[in-house]
Amino acid sequence: MINDFNYLRPGTLKEAFAMYAEHDDCKVICGGQSLLIVMRQGMISPEYLLDIKSIKELDYIKFDKKEGLRIGATTIHRAIEKSDVIKKNYPVLTAMENKLASVQVRNWGTIGGNLAHADPAGDPAPVLITLKANIKVGGAAGERTMPLEDFSVDYFETALNKGELVLEVQVPVSEPKTGAAYQKFNLLESDMGIVAAAASVTLNGNGKCKDARIVLGNAGSTPRRVKRAEELLIGKTLKESLFAEAGKIASEDCEPVADIHASEEHRRHILGVLTKRMLQKAFEQAKA
Amino acid sequence: MNKYTVINPHSEFKVINTHVHNVDGVAKVTGRATYTFDVKLPNMLYGKILRSPHPHAKILKIDYSRALELPGVVGVVTGKEDTLGIKQGIWRRYKDLCDEQILPVDKVRYIGEPVAAVAAITEEIAEKALDYIDVDYEVLPAVFEPMDAIKKDAPEIHEGFERNINITRHIEWGDVEAAFEEADYIREDWFKCGGQAHMCMETRVAVSSYTDGKLTIYHSNQSPYYLQALMAGVLDMREGDVRVISTYTGGGFGGKFELDGAIFCSAVLSRKLHKPVKIVYTREEDFIASKRRTPMLYYVRTGVKKDGTFCAREAKVFTNGGAYTGMGATAIYLTGFFHSFPYRWKGYRYDGYRVYTNTLPSTSMRGFGAPQAMFTSEQQIEWIAADLGLDPIEMRRKNSHYEGYEVPGQATIASCGIDQCYDEIQKWIKDKGKLPANRAIGISACGFMTGGIFNWFDTPYSFSSAVVTINYDGTVELRVGCQELGQGSNTTMAIIAAETLGVKIEDIKVYSGDTDQCPADLGAWGSRQTLMTGNAVKMACEDAKKQLLEFAYAEMGINIVYDLDIKDRWAHIVARPERGMKYEDLVKKALRAKDGQRIMGRGYYTPHRKGMISPAYSYMLQGVEVEIDEETGKIKLIDSLTAHDCGQPINHLGLIGQLEGAFSMAAGYGYLEYMPFEDGKLMNPNLVDYKMIRATEMPPTAVAEIDTYEPEGPYGAKEAGEGLTNPTAAAIGNAIFHRFGIQMKENPIKPEMILKALKEKKEKEQEKKKGKK
Repeated sequence: MINDFNYLRPGTLKEAFAMYAEHDDCKVICGGQSLLIVMRQGMISPEYLLDIKSIKELDYIKFDKKEGLRIGATTIHRAIEKSDVIKKNYPVLTAMENKLASVQVRNWGTIGGNLAHADPAGDPAPVLITLKANIKVGGAAGERTMPLEDFSVDYFETALNKGELVLEVQVPVSEPKTGAAYQKFNLLESDMGIVAAAASVTLNGNGKCKDARIVLGNAGSTPRRVKRAEELLIGKTLKESLFAEAGKIASEDCEPVADIHASEEHRRHILGVLTKRMLQKAFEQAKA
Repeated sequence: MNKYTVINPHSEFKVINTHVHNVDGVAKVTGRATYTFDVKLPNMLYGKILRSPHPHAKILKIDYSRALELPGVVGVVTGKEDTLGIKQGIWRRYKDLCDEQILPVDKVRYIGEPVAAVAAITEEIAEKALDYIDVDYEVLPAVFEPMDAIKKDAPEIHEGFERNINITRHIEWGDVEAAFEEADYIREDWFKCGGQAHMCMETRVAVSSYTDGKLTIYHSNQSPYYLQALMAGVLDMREGDVRVISTYTGGGFGGKFELDGAIFCSAVLSRKLHKPVKIVYTREEDFIASKRRTPMLYYVRTGVKKDGTFCAREAKVFTNGGAYTGMGATAIYLTGFFHSFPYRWKGYRYDGYRVYTNTLPSTSMRGFGAPQAMFTSEQQIEWIAADLGLDPIEMRRKNSHYEGYEVPGQATIASCGIDQCYDEIQKWIKDKGKLPANRAIGISACGFMTGGIFNWFDTPYSFSSAVVTINYDGTVELRVGCQELGQGSNTTMAIIAAETLGVKIEDIKVYSGDTDQCPADLGAWGSRQTLMTGNAVKMACEDAKKQLLEFAYAEMGINIVYDLDIKDRWAHIVARPERGMKYEDLVKKALRAKDGQRIMGRGYYTPHRKGMISPAYSYMLQGVEVEIDEETGKIKLIDSLTAHDCGQPINHLGLIGQLEGAFSMAAGYGYLEYMPFEDGKLMNPNLVDYKMIRATEMPPTAVAEIDTYEPEGPYGAKEAGEGLTNPTAAAIGNAIFHRFGIQMKENPIKPEMILKALKEKKEKEQEKKKGKK
């Protein structure tokens, strides 16, 4: 049962910053799809909830051919899934959102809330990190921007300072000849990932690998890049055997934790398989 | 909607098997149906239950004085102070199987078992108060697996049950040894079948109101009569002084016809505090402290001739019974009986051992022991066919039951459409042609009961009863004790009543789910209501109709050799349908002639001369197309067809819904719904970690309905909706077998198990190669 709490509902971002700075033991709620679960299980019982759902300033999807994509923190998953401009320029994001929980959850849950919750099994972070996304955060003291890969610091812990909110996700324009793919492993398609892998591949004019990113989901306390495997690929002419080797590295360079759904060994194995497959898929796209 | 084909439609009806929507559908979709969860009475208190954190412990002392000091707390009850300490169980006829005190007096036997209950003015305060009840336990050694619990030095869970063996069951016919002698090929396997949560949309919930020596209980259940009788027993009241109201029930699936903590604790609190008390289980409570499908260890030994003729089978089962008996006493019998289905065995022997452990009790659940029986039997049969190089469908066909077959000493099969089921599935497989490399088809056959006969509840009432009353305006009130829990029994009974009386479906109002207003009936379990209550309804309506037609004879002044009938509200001469009178006019006249009494018909049904198991049996064969990822072990269901014989379908829309629902539950049992325990603690008591198939992931579930006629059923009807929980797990296993040649001996089948089996297979093959070199 959810404990009683005081409910704060700012109308503007400025008000939100002020309220958040003013109240200790305060949690930010937007769609509530992550927070309500942990509150209901009694894992946290904050004295204050700051509801930023009605702050319209943070609800937007903007795309600029030079600047790239900017998504406001309170944008719901469903809006991202249904966005034409995202589908055209970042199809991997659309596909990821399409399998993120159920439609009901996607209609409530927000991108900012998902990232701030910092569940290592979350779907958006690995994909966004392969796309080299940044995250803009801010509070009464001002705003700052950082690479998304630096944002999660531990299980359910972020680099947010006291009084800071997630404001925006920024995704740069993809370079030409880039492909990106994401897949989670689960028993039910729309379920949380038992493990997941995202990969992006950028090719040179000569067809060699110019850049590659591999990010694993639920393979440790935060989304983790497999830099050793990325380095293996960069500069090479890509082929299946290299992807298999990268997969092997991914299965080694991770720290998945066993639970009732899968053993550690199985998780490592699947991470290797998914890495291999996502690289192959990203490569096919980059070639096309 | 999924594809629905009827093979051999053989009857013309006015209402039966026409496009009838659920009679309570509108109330449900508009949110106006009052479930127990919705019930709110004046001055109602809210109750919460303190549960045992230990799998096995003595209760030394319960001190709730601090809880009573909390503002808003009204009272606390414990086993020692507030109950009669009566041990109860649903197998009422056998006192030693009545082994459960809902609030135990001196000992707890599983994590989650109720220890005390508190009532407060809000649910929040009640929950908070639980933290202020101090319990001293003496923790005892515990045991969690049946094979550990039967060891000589295992902890004793119930006094006087040697080696924790709760129940043994033996079934045998023929000369088993001689029949094995006849076999050319004998195969034996061990299997491990998992548990499963009932997972009703509506969790256990009750509102009890005790006043003036009478107790009224709103409760979500499958059998108001059972609950009335059981509550009267534990409270030492007369059955007639306890009223149970269950107008709408949000799902049961076999888990809601025993006493649960919500009904018992709310009633004891209400009796003590003289105020209504409501208790609603959280989802977690429903997982950890209701009951579950029975996990089983299955040993199967089967002997066949070279040509595939079945000779003998021997099976041994050890079940994880958990802490108490519940309906496990029936499950341990039925699994042994249905393990023989749908085949003819010259010799058959089954020994079942139900073993107590310190875990969540296991009990009946949709399929009632048969899903385990079929997971084991139908896979082994597939392997035998492969071992002998025989066609698995033809091998099944030549050994199957047929109309008129007698299961030696057990049952006579009066209707059986399994042979045509084989035809339909064969056609389906053939039409599919060559499958993609990562897919395979698995099949599985089964049969199931249509209600139970053995009277373990010791009811003095007929198993089903119905009362029908016809009003002046021709509207009909039908009172039945069968329970609507989403399966559509009210609709089925309305259809049977409308068909029999010759009126329209909208003329019928069904009253059920109230022990004061409706006749006693054993309720919704074991697929019994369509046949048993349906027969009672038919009889009641025939009684009422006869009374109407007596007046029609007199009114119409016709020769008594003519037969009269009513169809579509038109009372007429059967041979000359144009000669007749309006039903509405006939009712008015008949009522006047009866000195103003309404026309009333009564009906009842108790099975006779049908053996001790069931009055009728359904048959089915299912094919499932499965995709399996060789690298990850992930299973995906692509397509399915069920060829199905439920006699005459009464309501095909309801039937399709039931078969879809059964498939989803059966698929979950096959590959998703695992219930891992660690030291007696359920590790996934929530819907994030407990995996159930979702609507968007259901494969097509087409049905080919084989219309047969079951002489014992109303209009030829028999079981539908429960039996289909049985075949799917084996069908999935068989698809995996055909895809990779690996044998899945444990369910639910998880990806990791598939990869492990593949790895072992590869290693074996390599060893073989080495050996050859």
